[in-house]
Amino acid sequence: MKNIYHLIIKDIIRFLNDKRAVILTFLVPIMLIIIFGNIFGGSGGVRGKASLILVNESNSIVAKLLEAKLDSSKSLQTVKTYTAENGKDTLKFDEETAKEWVRTGRISAAVVMPKDFFTDTSSAIKIKFYYDPKNEIESNIIQGNMQQTIFTQIPRMMPILMQRKAANYLGNDSTKRFLKGMGNIVHKYFGVSSDSFYNRLTNVDSASLFSSSADTSRESNFMSNLIKFDSEQLVGKKITNPGLTRSVGGWAMMFLLFSLTGAATSIFEEKNEGTLKRLLCMPITRSDILWSKYIYSMLLGMVQLLVMFLFAWAFFGVEIFANFGNLLILIIASAAAAVSFGMLITSITKTYSQANGISTLLILVMSALGGSWFPTSFLPDWMQVISKGTLTFWSMEGFLQVLWRHSNFAGIAPNVLVLLSIAFLINFYALIRFRRGII
Amino acid sequence: MLRISHIIKNFGNVNALQNVSLTINKGEFFGLLGPNGAGKSTLMNIIIGYLEADSGQISFNDQVISSSNINLRKKFGYVPQEISLYLELSAHQNLRIFGKFYNFGAKELENKIEEVLELVQLKDRKKDLVKEFSGGMKRRLNLAASLLHDPEILLCDEPTVGVDPQSRNAIFDMLNILNKAGKTILYTTHYMEEAERLCSRLAIIDNGNIIAQGTLIELINLLNQKDTIKIQKTAFTQNKLALLKDMGQISENDFYLELIPKESYNQNSKIFGKLEEIGIRNEFVQISRATLEDVFLNLTGRSLRD
Repeated sequence: MKNIYHLIIKDIIRFLNDKRAVILTFLVPIMLIIIFGNIFGGSGGVRGKASLILVNESNSIVAKLLEAKLDSSKSLQTVKTYTAENGKDTLKFDEETAKEWVRTGRISAAVVMPKDFFTDTSSAIKIKFYYDPKNEIESNIIQGNMQQTIFTQIPRMMPILMQRKAANYLGNDSTKRFLKGMGNIVHKYFGVSSDSFYNRLTNVDSASLFSSSADTSRESNFMSNLIKFDSEQLVGKKITNPGLTRSVGGWAMMFLLFSLTGAATSIFEEKNEGTLKRLLCMPITRSDILWSKYIYSMLLGMVQLLVMFLFAWAFFGVEIFANFGNLLILIIASAAAAVSFGMLITSITKTYSQANGISTLLILVMSALGGSWFPTSFLPDWMQVISKGTLTFWSMEGFLQVLWRHSNFAGIAPNVLVLLSIAFLINFYALIRFRRGII
Repeated sequence: MLRISHIIKNFGNVNALQNVSLTINKGEFFGLLGPNGAGKSTLMNIIIGYLEADSGQISFNDQVISSSNINLRKKFGYVPQEISLYLELSAHQNLRIFGKFYNFGAKELENKIEEVLELVQLKDRKKDLVKEFSGGMKRRLNLAASLLHDPEILLCDEPTVGVDPQSRNAIFDMLNILNKAGKTILYTTHYMEEAERLCSRLAIIDNGNIIAQGTLIELINLLNQKDTIKIQKTAFTQNKLALLKDMGQISENDFYLELIPKESYNQNSKIFGKLEEIGIRNEFVQISRATLEDVFLNLTGRSLRD
């Protein structure tokens, strides 16, 4: 028993001395629990809302009701205005601007209540929904939440909608006559004023529409045909394999980070094996060694990404050649940023084990926050801010621009610029640390 | 000539090297002897440019060694303590990789590779992966990689650690051949037998200080100690104790009677003659000379292996 005790103590000591094992065992799961907990609401904190543009061009009270309900939705964040190009003026979205925003990937969805939302009695009320399913889950959630919000209001609008339908079938005069007749019968047998009954059926009672006490749970399915819900996918309609096209960038970036961090931190292996010392004794500078690692890792990363995309093209039909030039630019920028991340890890750690542990932690967290695993709109607002600080986010968004939206260079320029800036800044810092003889 | 002047290197509160100065002359086989942690490898790392000294200067042939003077490194061949080779590659691939940094032409490099592989007796294994080599073979290849560019000075940092006696002797022979061919060698070790066997001049380093330097004879003479005559302890030799006491100072342990002879017995022939006279045959007698171990013990109060 004593021996077993000592053997256990031995294993505990060895484990605690292995920083990588400690990080992987405790810190990585804790970080992922924090992220997932915030997404699925386990922490009790405020979850992020999916944004959608709301354009209300109708003056009807029903449109106002829906707008108010969408505004107060717990899972949707309505956006109604934008800043003009001069940077000063705040403009209201119109339908065309909203579509352009969706088309260019600045937002995933827009809902438009047009001017004839409630005026055309020949049909149900009209709602237009434009969306970009760059992320299927996010798209479905937005659409689902929006429809739920609208349909749960239908019972409040039922009398009005019913009348519209009746008028359409019977004609206005016949409908009036029918309702008047109904009013007279109600007056005769129940003592209710026939005018009051008639007015209740024909006038919109805004107070009762906006009342929270109205029963909204029943009949929503039954009445859903009273609303004409026009959905239009603005982006990616012709994509052969939408699922993979949307996700390939995120996964590619995660594995790129793993492999390139491994390549950059191999400098520690060379240090441990003594080959680094042998190289430094040769007519070679430390900068030569670092640049060689950088360029080698860059090449490895570019080839890795190309192979991944070629594989996805060959076996799953992901279209990569339609916008190949921009894809190459993004591959170079992503590889540069990923290598610099590896270089940073190498410069701030002292051993391979440390580097491995920290890089695993950061890569998984960056992948989770950056959108590789799930839409960033699922994250709480504060996490969405952090998300934009990860190179995974910029890279993945860039790949979506190229593969999903077939954007031109202007479309990916911000992503390329951010990725190259990250690469430059991180490399600059890492180089300073290397020159101080950290390695 | 390698001149090391007033080198100081601290790691935090640890004074690794404290004002170390040495001169290694051209063609010399110079040994740096000291226990583990004495500062040998730190000094070697500063010479090769892997570490920077806090103060002091090292020059080779009057050129100061610095991180910017990388051409000077072509004159150095470094044999590290570790097997500094790419184990997953073949011997030939390793040598090609290291040789490429010295601007040899393709054919010249191939010739150099053949030459050094011949020297370390690995020519017939050149295509084998290094990871398949024995420890001794790896050590020999480690040496070969340092010789490709025909350096003027060979810096050997404990190159025989963990090597079997046969391979160790092979490495010693190779180093002797190189030294006789005119190569200057700086050799660090904590094995006093290696230092005694190989080095024409030595420095003893302890706690970052050079505590003595000179030839082997000069260092041993620091002890001012005569040879000790060890006589195997038997009933017969113990009976002769009184007679032996006339010859000098006697001490004894479980196995030997140890005699430090008087001035009058200043030649071995006189000692052996007298011993024969009292009936102690030569096979029961051996002469024990002072060693570097004794010198180190005398200077530091500790054993080299402590």
